[in-house]
Parts: sequence; structure tokens; C-alpha cells
Amino acid sequence: MTTDTGTAPATSTIRSKGALIPFQASSGGVMLLIVAAMAFLACFALAGALATTRIAATWTDGLAGQATVRVDATEDDRARRISLVLDILRDTEGIVDARALSERDVADLLTPWFGGTPDLGELPAPGIVAVTLDPLDEPDPSVVQARLDGASAGAIYDDHGRWRNRAARAARAIGSLSWWALGLTIAAIAGAVFLVVSIAMSAHRGTIEALRLSGAEDRFVANLYQKRFFWLGGLGGLIGSGLAFAAFAGLDALASVRAALPMLDAPYYWPLAWAGIVIACGGIALLAARLAVMTTLRHRG
Amino acid sequence: MIQFENVGFRYKRGPEVLQNVDLEIPAGSFQFITGASGAGKSSLLRMLYLDAEPSSGRISLFGRDVTTLTRDEIAWFRRRIGVVFQDFRLLDHLSAAENVALPLTVAGVRESAYRDNVTEMLHWVGLGDKMDVRPPELSGGEKQRVAIARAVVASPDIILADEPTGSVDPAMAERIMALFVEMNRLGKTVLVASHDLAMIEQHKLPINTLQGGTVVVGTPKKRRSA
Ligand SMILES: Nc1ncnc2c1ncn2[C@@H]1O[C@H](COP(=O)(O)OP(=O)(O)O)[C@@H](O)[C@H]1O
Ligand SMILES: [Mg+2]
Repeated sequence: MTTDTGTAPATSTIRSKGALIPFQASSGGVMLLIVAAMAFLACFALAGALATTRIAATWTDGLAGQATVRVDATEDDRARRISLVLDILRDTEGIVDARALSERDVADLLTPWFGGTPDLGELPAPGIVAVTLDPLDEPDPSVVQARLDGASAGAIYDDHGRWRNRAARAARAIGSLSWWALGLTIAAIAGAVFLVVSIAMSAHRGTIEALRLSGAEDRFVANLYQKRFFWLGGLGGLIGSGLAFAAFAGLDALASVRAALPMLDAPYYWPLAWAGIVIACGGIALLAARLAVMTTLRHRG
Repeated sequence: MIQFENVGFRYKRGPEVLQNVDLEIPAGSFQFITGASGAGKSSLLRMLYLDAEPSSGRISLFGRDVTTLTRDEIAWFRRRIGVVFQDFRLLDHLSAAENVALPLTVAGVRESAYRDNVTEMLHWVGLGDKMDVRPPELSGGEKQRVAIARAVVASPDIILADEPTGSVDPAMAERIMALFVEMNRLGKTVLVASHDLAMIEQHKLPINTLQGGTVVVGTPKKRRSA
């Protein structure tokens, strides 16, 4: 230790880099592992949430504004019925345009289902009318159907609503699950920090008491923990999200996730998102540490 | 500055340690508290450094009823009170100098601003060569001197010392008492708790004797003749 030479440099500093609170290196390591794992999971939850939101929007947007009317009729009656249907549709509020598809159009539509070029002569091909809806004022499908029935047109109106609703509902459900997963990982980080800080404070009881007796306010004590856990949280976030981003970039299996998130391809996006996640992890850890210290100190009285 | 009105004190579910204590310590005075071991000297000081509240009666400190202070106010009051604890309460993971600097560190003073002050204090208590030594490697007397340096370094308004000469030789005890006298001359209120009557009697200063849980005012001579 110090030798009694009396030649200690007069400019030596008193505050060493040593912390006022003797933190255990091992608890820091555990904290780092937990936050890194949670940040890794949070990245997938976040990607899932963003991707499903976008997919749902694509599906609904892609199908919105369109409807079809199928006209069942014999060959000789078809033209009359179609023109009757077109008149009704064009006269309906919320419908912008109605157009009868040619046999060629119908054949193109059916190709994926039948393979090759279907010979329509062998099938009773229905007349199909493509309807363009006013996206801001879509008509009530039951009202349109009622009007068609009123004219005995033998026509069936379909705005793809059922399929649209189900697809959108499924995407929204997956999306909200992802948001929940993200929320839970954040809660898990906060909870783990709260627990680790509370345990550390029991170990540091004497030190904290000495600080308080020397005139430290609660927020001074809180700052010591906040600072450490902000850095631990940030570093854990850096590691965890770094691994997740590497997985996004590297795994072919995740190409579809990437495809649904075109912003990931923007050059500025990656460092920005990465920095955001790192700061968020640090911030969550900081707040949880502060809450733990303040709660514990108040409780001790 | 310090006023006790009919103060009673007990530890949780324990018997009454102090009762009917009336005490007035004006600003700028130097007084002793004496009494046998277990008489309640340390408990009385604890209430003064706001680590315990009276169970009855009223203690006023700097003009405030101590039971009305918020946690922040308690911290700010403690910055105006330097305490030498009977058990020192040094932090083993900090050097002697860091321990002495603690009241300044927690008050937000920068190291560059207090460095000379702390160095001087440690030299004064004869530990100029032990600045970087941690308490576990110090003797009892050396720890006591670190605790004394810490109590006075921030120039507090009140100095409370609990058996401050308990672990040092007579020569150092005299030096420590001289330091308190000097602090008092600079206008600080000093309250020293000690069972060492021989040391106390050397000073012609007011003595409060704790006996049977309450304060018997008077000099040791009066007490002896009683
Ligand atoms: N933390 C404590 N809890 C319960 N009883 C205590 C505590 N500290 C001291 N006491 C009791 O309070 C009485 C007064 O103790 P103390 O104030 O330390 O006396 P002194 O400092 O005069 O020796 C003693 O009977 C002691 O046993
Ligand atoms: Mg005592």
C-alpha cells in the first residue's frame, strides 16, 4: 500500500475511478445477459409487429375499392342481364364504375385455377362485372344486393368483404400479439433491473446509510444506480439488437420479414434503429433502477 | 439551535431509553454529554443527526421540529451537521481521503474544489501519509481520526462527536479536543458525548449528565457532592 515516504505527489486526485457504491462485477454480467437476450427478442417482436401491420395494410388496400358481380344466365340471356346489372350498378351511390369483363378477361382470371388456357365452352362461364367503388364511401353490400334482387337480375354481389375482413383480422391479431410480446420484453427488462437493483441495495445497505448520513439526497443515491444500469442496459441492448440485426441481414428464412419492411433497406435506417433500441434499453433500465432505489429508500425510511 | 422539550425515546418495542429530557444548546456553544455506558448518549445524538425520531416530546433543530422534515430536508440538514460516530461508519471500499471527502461529494462539490481541503484535514489529524489507505488497513485510532476529519471537513454548523477520543492515546485526544475548541471558536456549535470524565473536566464547559434516562444538569463536582 502506501509507503511512508512523504513524497506522495501533491497533485494526486482524491476521487479514484472507483465507484461510491461497490458494485459486484458478476451482477453486472448477469444484467448484461438478461438485457441482451430481451433486446434480441424485442427486435423480432418489433419486426413482427411492423411487418404484420404493413402486410395487413397491403391486403386490405389492395382489395379495397373493388367488387365483383357474378351474373348467372344462359348464353342467350346473358347480354340482357349484364346490361340490366350495369344500369343498376351505375345508378348506385358509392359505385364509381362498372364494367363487364370480356370472355378473354374471365379466362385470364381463371387461368391460375384451371391451368393452361381453359376452354370456356365446356363450362357455364358466368358473366362477371368488375365494379370500382368509391374508396371513401363504399356502398353497403346488402343494399346493392337488394337492388339487384329487386330487378331479378340473378346477380350476386361480392365486395370480397368477408375475405378482406378475415385476412385483416388475422394480420391485426398477429400484429397485436407482436406488440404484446414487445411490451412483455420491455417489462421483463424493467422487472429484472428492478429486482437486481433491489438485491444490490440490500448488499449495499451500510454504504447507502453512510451516504445518507453524510447528507446525500435520495436522488443522489438513485443517480449512482441509474448511471450504472443505464450503461448496462445500453450495452445489453447493443449486443442483443446487434445479434438480431445480424440475423435479419443474414438469414434467408427471414427474407420475407425483410421484404415486408422496406425501410430496413434504407441505408440510414439500420444505425438509426440500432441506436434507438440501444437508447431505449438504457432508458428502460435507468427508469427501473430509479424506481427501485426510490421505492426501497422510502420503504426503509 | 438545538432544543429538547420533554423528549422521550425508545427503540422499537424496547423500554424507554430517555424520558423527560429538556436540553437547550444555543448556537455557538460547546457542551458535553456524559453518563454511564448505556445511559443513552448515543441515542440522544442519533435523534440530533435525524437517524431517529423522539417517541414523545419535541426536538427543534435550526428552528424546525425534526418530525416535520421531508427526506430531502433531512439530507440538507445533515450537511450542516458533522458527526463522529462511535463506530466510525467508514466505507471500507474507499480510501481514507475518499471517506473524508464524502460529505463534499454527496453535496455535489467537485474533486478539484475540495482536494486541498481534504488533504489538509488528513494532515491535521496526522494521516497525511495514509490518504490512499482503506479503513480495513487502519488501526482503531487512525479510523477515529478519519471519522473526525470527515465530520469537520465540510465546515458544518453543528459538530456532534460520540466518544471521539475513545480509541486514541492521550496526546491525540488532546489534539482532537483542541480541534473541536478551534471549531467552536470559529462559531460552530459543538456537542461531545463521552464517558471520560477526566478528559471532560479539563474543559470549563457546560456538562449534561444522563442518569436514569434523563438529564441532570450540573458539573461533575456538584454531582459528586450530591
Ligand atoms: N439499535 C438499538 N436497538 C435497541 N436498543 C438499543 C439500540 N441501541 C442502543 N440500545 C439500547 O439503548 C440504551 C442506550 O444506549 P446508547 O444510547 O448507546 O447509550 P450510550 O451511548 O450512553 O452508551 C442501551 O440500553 C442500549 O442497549
Ligand atoms: Mg454510546
